[in-house]
Amino acid sequence: MCETIQEYAPAHPAVVFSIELGRVSCFTEFDPVPEKTYIHHKWYQNDSLVTEKRLTINPPRWSSFTSVQLRESDKGPWRVEVTDENDKLMRTLRFSITD
Amino acid sequence: MDPLIPFHTALRWQDIVDILLNSYILFRLYVLFRGTNVIRMIMAIAMLWMIERLAVNMGLIVTSWAMQGIIAAAALIVIIVFRNEIAGVLQTRDFKSFFWGFPQRQVQTPVDIIVESVYELARRKLGALIVLPLQKSIETVVQSGIPWQGKLSREMLLSIFWHGTPVHDGATIVQGDQIVEVATILPLSKSTDLPAYFGTRHRAAAGLTEQTDAVVLVVSEERGQVTVFKDESIIHINDNIELSKVLRDYTGEVTTTGGLKRHTVELGIAAMICLASITGIWFSFARGLETLVTLEVPVEFMNRDPMMEIFAASASSVRLQLSGSGTLIKSVRPDQVKVKLNLANAVAGSNQVPIARDSIALPPGIQLKKVDPQALEVTLDLPVEKTLPVQVIWTGKLAAGLIMEDVRMVPDNVKVVGGSLMLKGIQTIYTEKLPLEGIVTGGTASVSLVLQPSSLKLEEGVRNRVDVIYKVKMRPAASS
Repeated sequence: MCETIQEYAPAHPAVVFSIELGRVSCFTEFDPVPEKTYIHHKWYQNDSLVTEKRLTINPPRWSSFTSVQLRESDKGPWRVEVTDENDKLMRTLRFSITD
Repeated sequence: MDPLIPFHTALRWQDIVDILLNSYILFRLYVLFRGTNVIRMIMAIAMLWMIERLAVNMGLIVTSWAMQGIIAAAALIVIIVFRNEIAGVLQTRDFKSFFWGFPQRQVQTPVDIIVESVYELARRKLGALIVLPLQKSIETVVQSGIPWQGKLSREMLLSIFWHGTPVHDGATIVQGDQIVEVATILPLSKSTDLPAYFGTRHRAAAGLTEQTDAVVLVVSEERGQVTVFKDESIIHINDNIELSKVLRDYTGEVTTTGGLKRHTVELGIAAMICLASITGIWFSFARGLETLVTLEVPVEFMNRDPMMEIFAASASSVRLQLSGSGTLIKSVRPDQVKVKLNLANAVAGSNQVPIARDSIALPPGIQLKKVDPQALEVTLDLPVEKTLPVQVIWTGKLAAGLIMEDVRMVPDNVKVVGGSLMLKGIQTIYTEKLPLEGIVTGGTASVSLVLQPSSLKLEEGVRNRVDVIYKVKMRPAASS
């Protein structure tokens, strides 16, 4: 999890983000990638699914990210579940949105 | 509208049984104790009770208190003072006679033999003292008797009172057709208004009749005079016809159609009085002014599937509005009112269980007016275990220039127990809120876990605290 993406790289990775940043991003990098595939970024706030995005992953290595705009009501615990095209859980990233 | 119509229709068959049963119990008590001082005292107490109820209704506070005290004391006194009489009545009855039958006032006494014997004793001027016990026991009053157990006959009585026999100088006790005891010493009367010519036999006869209901016959040794003592009465007998009549009257021997009829009428009147009394008491208790009361009653759940547990209920108690007479409503105890919901048909998940009338137990005479709520939502579920990750909830604002780069929970998973349906929607166990203010370097904080909903439990033995190990670093300077 990072505050922003700069030059195709995550900037200021962290686990607590201020609402004042206005945006938070989930950056994922895959190396190697044997064939074209898809992954999902599932954004949850307090165990409730907020948004789900499908991303294309291409060989030989690939990076991609998703972001959410932050509103006042988004404060609290969050997690992003990264799943493969078969919905198999690959990684869970946990973070918090605070004042 | 005729006010009697709702009055009668409101009378249940249980009420009629209630009245009849208690009337019969009262009547049996009368049959057992009639003729004794106990029944007179009980009637006196009943009168006091009626006065007390009247005083309560009229608002006479001190009078009603005083009557309550007197009634309590009188009941105690009756038991203490008349304990021998009560014991005598209870011991002399066979078990069947407590519930059925009408015992005669005494065992049939052969009055003719006694009359004939007494007149023979009088003619020969043989002093005699003959006791015919009735209902009261005389055992505690008389002393030093010699057991005899002989069949009553004219010759036997003449022999007992014949001058020179060792037993002629005491009283002879006759029960039924048996001479049960001879040479018995009776208590002497201390009365000062007995005639001067009365000797020791007469004083003994008077002494016994003062304390018991026995009939005592005295034959004067000097004058050959026959005297009958009963209660306060002293009757001088002139001929054997008069003696026969007096004895038959006192001993209650029912030999004539008139006597039998009188006996039946007396019991009939007593039965009617018992019925009227109990009816009056019943109506005063059960049919007083209608009173409403609202009770908060806890709900008991029954017959649930033993594999499932109740994880939630929309309410744990219900409000019942009850009505009945003021007396009955005041006497309702919380344990007499129960709400039992049958969960035999309940399934896993949320169930709407109506609170039907047959699931509410009320004491007799109390009616249900209203139930609130009329149904409960009960959630049943199969209890399962699940291991869930733990996540900290940060609040506040991290100091400017700092970035929290990593957080680790120890332990990072906990095992919880809860309903399978409920646990499907729970993916994370969160901690209590942990403030960011004051954090300038990495460190460790200990926080509690928040288990929502409340039916969710940690596995037994698991500590409800976790350590939060966090790392912070300085925010890199912005590149130009």
